[in-house]
Amino acid sequence: MTRRAVRWLAGVAALAVLLAYPSLFGIYFTNSFVTFGIFALYAVSFNLLLGFTGLLSFGHAMFFGAGGYGTALALTHLKGLPLLPALALGVAAALALGVLLAPLMVRISGTAFAMLHLAFGQLMYVLALKLRTITGGEDGIGGFPIPPFSVPGVLSVDMKTPANFYYFAVAVLGFSVFALWFVTKTPFGCVMVGVRDNPNRVAYLGFRVPHTKAVVYLLAAGSAGVAGSVFAMFQNLVSADGALHVFVSFAPVQLTMIGGVGSFFGPILGSAIFGVISELTSRYTERVELVSGAILILVIMYAPLGVIGMWHAARARARARFAPRGAAEPAR
Amino acid sequence: MNLPRQALTLVVLASLLLFGVADAQAAQAKAAFDPDKMADMSDFDPNKPVIPTGDTIKIAVVASFSGPAAVVGQIYFISVQWAAHDINKRGGIMVDGKRKLVEVIKANHASQPAETKKVAERMVLQEKVNVLWGTDGSHLMKIINQVADKYKVIAQSASALSDELYDTTNFSRYSFMSSFSTEQIGRAIGFYYGKIRKKEKKFYILGQDYLFGHSLADGFKKGLKEYYPEATLLGEDYHPLFMKDFAPYLQKIKASGAEVIFTGDWIPDAENLLVQARQMGIKLPFANLFLDEPNMLHRVGVDGTTGLVHVSQYGAEGGAFKTPGQIKAYKAWNTLWKTKWGPPYNTRLYEHGTGNIGSYIQQTYWLLSVIERAGSTDPEKIIKVWENDSYQLLNGKVLTMRSCDHKAIQDLHVEEYVPPAKQRESFNIPPYFWYEGTSSVGPSVAIPARYVLPKMDKSLARCKDKSEAGE
Repeated sequence: MTRRAVRWLAGVAALAVLLAYPSLFGIYFTNSFVTFGIFALYAVSFNLLLGFTGLLSFGHAMFFGAGGYGTALALTHLKGLPLLPALALGVAAALALGVLLAPLMVRISGTAFAMLHLAFGQLMYVLALKLRTITGGEDGIGGFPIPPFSVPGVLSVDMKTPANFYYFAVAVLGFSVFALWFVTKTPFGCVMVGVRDNPNRVAYLGFRVPHTKAVVYLLAAGSAGVAGSVFAMFQNLVSADGALHVFVSFAPVQLTMIGGVGSFFGPILGSAIFGVISELTSRYTERVELVSGAILILVIMYAPLGVIGMWHAARARARARFAPRGAAEPAR
Repeated sequence: MNLPRQALTLVVLASLLLFGVADAQAAQAKAAFDPDKMADMSDFDPNKPVIPTGDTIKIAVVASFSGPAAVVGQIYFISVQWAAHDINKRGGIMVDGKRKLVEVIKANHASQPAETKKVAERMVLQEKVNVLWGTDGSHLMKIINQVADKYKVIAQSASALSDELYDTTNFSRYSFMSSFSTEQIGRAIGFYYGKIRKKEKKFYILGQDYLFGHSLADGFKKGLKEYYPEATLLGEDYHPLFMKDFAPYLQKIKASGAEVIFTGDWIPDAENLLVQARQMGIKLPFANLFLDEPNMLHRVGVDGTTGLVHVSQYGAEGGAFKTPGQIKAYKAWNTLWKTKWGPPYNTRLYEHGTGNIGSYIQQTYWLLSVIERAGSTDPEKIIKVWENDSYQLLNGKVLTMRSCDHKAIQDLHVEEYVPPAKQRESFNIPPYFWYEGTSSVGPSVAIPARYVLPKMDKSLARCKDKSEAGE
């Protein structure tokens, strides 16, 4: 069987598992999977900045929160708003914030980029707490109607049913992840990596570094907005603590570090690992953060490229060990 | 407005009359806690709880068990586990044709909304609990109620106090508020200062900036308007949960010339607020709801805690111990605290199984009594029994569950904190004081239920034609 055929088979099997997931694992784990999917996309959007463009953000939650609040406010105030426009409004809110900040942010990098994002993230958090009449303050916005997924005259699917929402979330999140992956495989994706590795050389080659950064920045903001919007609809609640807190900004840092910085699928793996650890430890101890913190420390100390990095290193070692003698010698 | 002497007499007479009514209610309560039936609790240890498994009645205590409010989860757990342990030692409860023991499960929401939904769903879907018992934070109780409503399980709001939880937007027929509620509390304080104490006139509200804090402040403002119109509200401020530095707020309050600070802050905010106020030399009394945590009170000492005014849902006018049964139940707890329990349950916080702890215990007994009388864990049967039910607590107080919006009607008590030597007015058994190193409950005044009926949202269809008394 060719490698291509194996990939196709694996893809079909994965799709079958995804389709049958709610029936196989029940409501609780279906909801857990949706949570995993949301944070996977959120972490991937963060990694687009850090892993592919070399921009470390400590305030990525502001885009996640903007998406969540955008959708929640739209569903609260616009009666009869359909599902997809509600999602689009959330994404638009995150993009609008990105457009507002991009002119400043694309001209800085390193510590300044990280700290300015921390500052803006905290500003958004405090605004969400203080503008109580709009944002609901500490309580957040909850209990808003979740519209059905409908195609006029064709079908209407109730999104309050966990299984139905699962299919919607998987479709939206899956498409978003695929779109981001596709971008990284285009020539533009190579320019992104170039900006990360040597922005001066990229500029010398004739590419506009700030413009490139701006596009990546908006892609990251928009996709974090998608995650935030789905999160708000999934929880039927968006709150400052749940969507804008500094811990929400640190979450993708943690997921990306555990999974593997620079690898597209690293943050997804990190999200899965973190989800499983959180699920298991919360059953036995209240100190979930202690366990995940300890794991993060171990990863940084012993596997700075994350689990994916460890995997690549192990594979390289295995290849070197089992390679035929003399294979490593250069051809004469 | 100063009430003429006749009016005051009328108020006092009305109170006495209502006490009579309360007594009559007690006699008429559909069920009561009977201390004589209490099991031997000498083996109860919250650090080594005996948790039955298998086919049990499952109660999930959804609360903070980690983070800054972890102590709150500990308080809830020991309270619910106490009642469960007692019932289990009596052989459990007959439900659905079988005697079942009560299993208490900790569910940590870590004060996070997303975690609350997740853990509440896990309790319902995986642990198959029959009751979600909560919680510290009305915004989190709202989520628990949504989960209860979605999966059709009973939720008991024993410590989330916001009225909005049971308004037309948020009401769920699966959720019951067995505690007092924010408007009741605010109005009780207003009544106390306006109709009973009648000294201080300038007030300042300092609350936590979320549903509960605002809801409580609205209740207090309503209480002042209703019972003390000549009082002045000099300002109101709301701070984020779990603040570390209260100095800016306290300085502002000091500058305002306020005579009383009204606050509903709970631990850890309650502790930081009181300790920092006294450290800053601000001696103003706090009219409060949760400034009763004894470790914090000891940090401040006798002088700094004298004059605190506390509203209680588990108070008693005159001595706290009026019957041999009450003394027996009190000693069962206190003896174990002295001799058996280890950290954290051997600290002063757990010395007396009264106050909020007493209330949580008794609310849990009410829940278990309802399940027993329903003869089933079927939520529909539980709802049928609990609506319009009345239950007499250990301290003689009667709670009545208003059927249309599931809120408890009850008398409240406003207590003044006094030095140890004067505490015998309340702690009427040896050693005649609650605490030696701090002021604590002294004189206690009953605020009859009819002055502090829980807020009713008339736009809730179920309550349309009902009076506030629920009739």
